Amino acid sequence: MSDTFDPLIVALCCNWCSYTGADLAGVSRIQYPHNVRIVRVMCSGMVHPNLVIDAFTSGADGVLMCGCHLGDCHYQEGNYKAEKRAEAIRLMLADFGIEEERFRLEWVSAAEGPRFAQVIREFTEQVQALGASPYRTH
Amino acid sequence: MAARLAEEWFAICGGCEVTILDIGEPLLDVLKQVEIVHMPVIMDHKLFGQTGENTEMEIPAADVGLISGGIRSEEHKKLALEMRKKCKILISLGSCACFGGVPALANQYSTQEVLEKVYRGSKSTETNGLPHEQIPELTDRVYAVHEVVPVDAYLPGCPTTPEMVANALVSILEGKPLSALSSKSVCDECPTKREKKAIGILKRRYDAPDFKPGAPLGEMRCLMEQGFLCLGPATRGGCGGTDGVPRCIRAYMPCEGCFGPLSEKANPMVDMMGALSSIGLDPKQIPDRAATFNRFAGAGRLRPAPRR
Repeated sequence: MSDTFDPLIVALCCNWCSYTGADLAGVSRIQYPHNVRIVRVMCSGMVHPNLVIDAFTSGADGVLMCGCHLGDCHYQEGNYKAEKRAEAIRLMLADFGIEEERFRLEWVSAAEGPRFAQVIREFTEQVQALGASPYRTH
Repeated sequence: MAARLAEEWFAICGGCEVTILDIGEPLLDVLKQVEIVHMPVIMDHKLFGQTGENTEMEIPAADVGLISGGIRSEEHKKLALEMRKKCKILISLGSCACFGGVPALANQYSTQEVLEKVYRGSKSTETNGLPHEQIPELTDRVYAVHEVVPVDAYLPGCPTTPEMVANALVSILEGKPLSALSSKSVCDECPTKREKKAIGILKRRYDAPDFKPGAPLGEMRCLMEQGFLCLGPATRGGCGGTDGVPRCIRAYMPCEGCFGPLSEKANPMVDMMGALSSIGLDPKQIPDRAATFNRFAGAGRLRPAPRR
């Protein structure tokens, strides 16, 4: 066991691209940090700011929102909606006393297994540098 | 035998008491069956005896207690406890009692900051000392009544509706249970036309919405989609009474959110920011999010901004 901070990261991945991308990373046996807990959602456009804020206030150190690349959405424009909502989420993080860097929106396609692993690695490092979330109780 | 009624008011404007009067003619029938034993706004019943002879504060025992206003001072706290002790049924009357109301906007700042601003900081104020003699101490923030004492029923609204107050009083007089609050949102009850896409940018309140006077409300486009900030998605419905159409919408005005959030745990700010960005309005255009979306629900929700 290392002494470095072990963050808890929630990743909300869309069913059609990002979750499949994560799956590809898995079956390709690409290594990435174990800190991430993936939640499959049907579309990044269904991720209401409530879900993200609840994850943070329940103690997540970081939240990652993943969807299809713009223009590739299975539901045509769900990820454009996600982009708009992410803007609202970033604004509100300050109101809750959470650093903006703890939240990230990324586009990962079903073919981008290595990229998914890379995003998780980067994001985990970023959250690790920030330390524990002010809402973390354990 | 007439039911005994006690009423107490705390941090409030007095509008909810006017609502009782606003019940109109049915009030005459209700009053025949009610004996008001304590109500500072209309009668001279003193807490320490009529000549101040008592040492202990006393409110007479009552069947129904109404409390309007949030709790802002130690005096309010004591009175709320006394009301709870003496009343069989205790009702929070109005949004201030239910969720802190407009006075709870002060919860964004510490009591010290509020006093500093009001008595020293504001430019038009002559800077004297803080008032300190013979006045009760302020609490650390504005509390809703149920945060201090258990409450049996809630009648939200700013002011609450005469219909709701009348129904509650009649149910109590007839020994029936009080009707529960609506679990629907204002949007669920709103008859306007929705297309799930907003047109353009947010408009100011004084701009006129697009509607045909006299035409049914169903022909008007949703006010939020027209660009007016409407708190309908995050606000409890039921303000329209038997008519069913929300009060403000009936007057071609957007919802202000006075019936409070949909549940105890809901955060109207997050809900509204989600709703705004979902239909394509720019959430950055709202400079004062926390206060705008918690205008009536500040108790327990608004707090001084965290320092980092």
